[in-house]
Amino acid sequence: MSTKAAERRKLHGTGKMYWHKLGADIKRDKWLYLLLLPGLVYFIIFKYLPMFGIVIAFENYVPYSGVLGSQWVGFKWFEYFFKFPSWVTYLTNTLILSLMNIIFYFPAPIILALLLNEMRSLRYKKLLQTLLYVPHFISIVIVVSITFVMFGPSGIVYKLTEVVLGHPINYMGSPDTFRWMIIGQTIWKETGWGTIIFLAALTNVDTQLYEAAMVDGANRLHRLWHITLPAIRSTIVLMLILRMGSVLDTGYDHLILMANPLNRKVSQTLDVFVYQQGIQSGQFSYASAIGLMKAIVSVTLVVSSNKIAHLLGEQGLY
Amino acid sequence: MKKLVALFLALVMVLSLASFAAAEEPFEISVLLPEFPADIDFVNDFDSNPVLQKICELSGVKLNIQWGANSTYAEIFSTTLADKNPPMLVSATNARDPQVINSARAGAFWDITDAIHDTENYPNLALGNEGVYDNIAIDGHVYGIYRSRAFPRGGIYYRLDIAKEVGFDREVKTIDDLTELAEKLAGYSADTYALNMCSYTAGTISVITVAMGAPNTWGVDENGDVYPAHKSPAYKAGLDWLRHLYEIGGIDPNFAQISTSDWDNIERTGKAFMRFDCLDNAHRQQEWFENNAGATEQVFQSVGPVAKADGSVTVWPQNPGFAGEILLMKSAISEQDLPKVLKFLDWCNTSEGQTLINAGLEGLTYDVDEDGLRYVPDEKADEYGKNEKMYHNNINQLGMGVAGNIENPKARVNRGYSELRQRYEDLNLELAPYAVLNPCYPFVSETYTAFGAQLDQIISDAAVQYIAGLIDEAGLQAAWDDWAAQGGDAITMEYNEAYHAAQ
Repeated sequence: MSTKAAERRKLHGTGKMYWHKLGADIKRDKWLYLLLLPGLVYFIIFKYLPMFGIVIAFENYVPYSGVLGSQWVGFKWFEYFFKFPSWVTYLTNTLILSLMNIIFYFPAPIILALLLNEMRSLRYKKLLQTLLYVPHFISIVIVVSITFVMFGPSGIVYKLTEVVLGHPINYMGSPDTFRWMIIGQTIWKETGWGTIIFLAALTNVDTQLYEAAMVDGANRLHRLWHITLPAIRSTIVLMLILRMGSVLDTGYDHLILMANPLNRKVSQTLDVFVYQQGIQSGQFSYASAIGLMKAIVSVTLVVSSNKIAHLLGEQGLY
Repeated sequence: MKKLVALFLALVMVLSLASFAAAEEPFEISVLLPEFPADIDFVNDFDSNPVLQKICELSGVKLNIQWGANSTYAEIFSTTLADKNPPMLVSATNARDPQVINSARAGAFWDITDAIHDTENYPNLALGNEGVYDNIAIDGHVYGIYRSRAFPRGGIYYRLDIAKEVGFDREVKTIDDLTELAEKLAGYSADTYALNMCSYTAGTISVITVAMGAPNTWGVDENGDVYPAHKSPAYKAGLDWLRHLYEIGGIDPNFAQISTSDWDNIERTGKAFMRFDCLDNAHRQQEWFENNAGATEQVFQSVGPVAKADGSVTVWPQNPGFAGEILLMKSAISEQDLPKVLKFLDWCNTSEGQTLINAGLEGLTYDVDEDGLRYVPDEKADEYGKNEKMYHNNINQLGMGVAGNIENPKARVNRGYSELRQRYEDLNLELAPYAVLNPCYPFVSETYTAFGAQLDQIISDAAVQYIAGLIDEAGLQAAWDDWAAQGGDAITMEYNEAYHAAQ
């Protein structure tokens, strides 16, 4: 305990020491720091400065009066959100969709990357990879349209189920199928693209390990389980932590496109609500307040999942 | 000396010419209007658009129109209000939009309460209906010019020929007639439906529930208290009527997923024969059948007053006498320019202004016959139709018509279309006394401002699910209870306070 504290003191030093050291660093590696500059400027201008806009969450913001001229209302909008039980529905819908996303979508690119990794023909693998990236570049509007054509009342899948089951399933207009359709579309669209990072991690695996394992009589499954997976474990954990940061993000465009009166009970998530309040009804303050709460929860989740990763002996995010 | 005089005269002429030119420099007014899609793009360039040039010639104003796609107009409108340099005039499609109210209170729009009563400077604006100006007023101040609408427009129309085919050959005068007609139409064939419904259900549900005796959105009970429409038994009766029609196959089981843009096509392709919507659609559809399906007789019929069992008639008016307003943005119009802008709006409401804005230009989008009536000759239908889309089309979104329908020349109407159009104008007058108004329309509820959109959705979604048989009466009641708990009760209370205070 005491050694740790001492270490921390040593690491951070006093404020003065820190700046002094930084100054020396910059002097020594000035060209490297120059490379950092554009990125730094980008973050300051496009990520940090706009953050001052958060104050509108505490105001009754009217565009004409401006951020500085609008009336200060404190936590009114936060209280408003919790005033009626509807927020429970929005939160539950968000969490269920996110959880399903983590359980069913998250492993998909890993599995696909592992499958690709096992391919023998390199040329075939490359071709396949390229083809798998294509859906990512298709607009979600198109994806939803395709789904409507296939699963809608006059679609082939709809008709097929009618023939096979004897009764149709209303894929596009039922609260029971809604989430599965969303997950299905996400998997179809993003799995291929998601493999990139895992494939990159897989290239780092030492091929000698495979050869050694083969000599020891390990079959493909053994090699996968004992070499490949452990090698990309830290990447998987890293991606999972990052994913935790967006547990409350469901996006709104995809959901709004798929929503209709029959499935609205399950399609109303926090993001959809923020969009409706902020952009459609012009309730900028109210929408910002909800967005701010979401952001706070997300940061907490990232920090705590990172902690858990450390406790489990993983490297984590930082 | 002569030379000097000549020089002097020449100088005077040049100067006067220069000053003349300066005076003629048109005043530019920018305006944001919703744009309804057309297959040909609108020519927004002043130099190549004769309609814009004519407007400039007559009013001295060069219009600079910014279009906002109608399907996303809510988004465009709210971002425009947030813009530091908005256009001078902005069309608000909903005068009771919370952001309009908030911005008006913050002083974003010019208060024109005095100007609309200024009979000397703005005689046409002063002709506007005082009651409607009251309806768009915020805290007693008027911030825009309303866009006048025939009242009431809501109603029922059906395919006359199909009705005769299924053995219904009389006028619809009672709810029972309507039920009989709907049931007979439902039985026409297996792949067709009686009632044309789509994902936009608010209009359909309002037409039938109000006809059954339900209030329009909000009602007033015998104690003088305000209550939501769905608490009225007649509302439930209206839903039951639709549910029954759905059960006997009279409504497309997938109506909730049908886009609004397909609504017209369903009638045009003969998939459904009756619609509860805007009455003027009847003659529009008639026109389409005449132009595209070779109809020579009247194939549509609009329904007049429909009596309940006790003989009384109630009609959903679709609008409170207007649809939206044109707002004057304070940050874009300087105090000295304000009279110019008001003068232009006044001009828009003159006979010549209205004609240009609503009908376009003679010889470009219409001709005038020997009786002095406006019409489109058959041989020029394509050309004029194209011109209409290129040069005029959505300019009519600037039409206000506060001084009434004073277009000159009036449109000449032809064939079956004429009968239905005439009937539409007659019905509007005939139905007006039966119109049920929303007593809470002028009031602002803070809870409704924050949660209204979601709350409205609870009610309309439950109605759709009930009609489609997905939930029963208990489910409907549960949704209404949910509505009350989620803020509905608070809204009722706020409206009651405002309503009692205004009495």
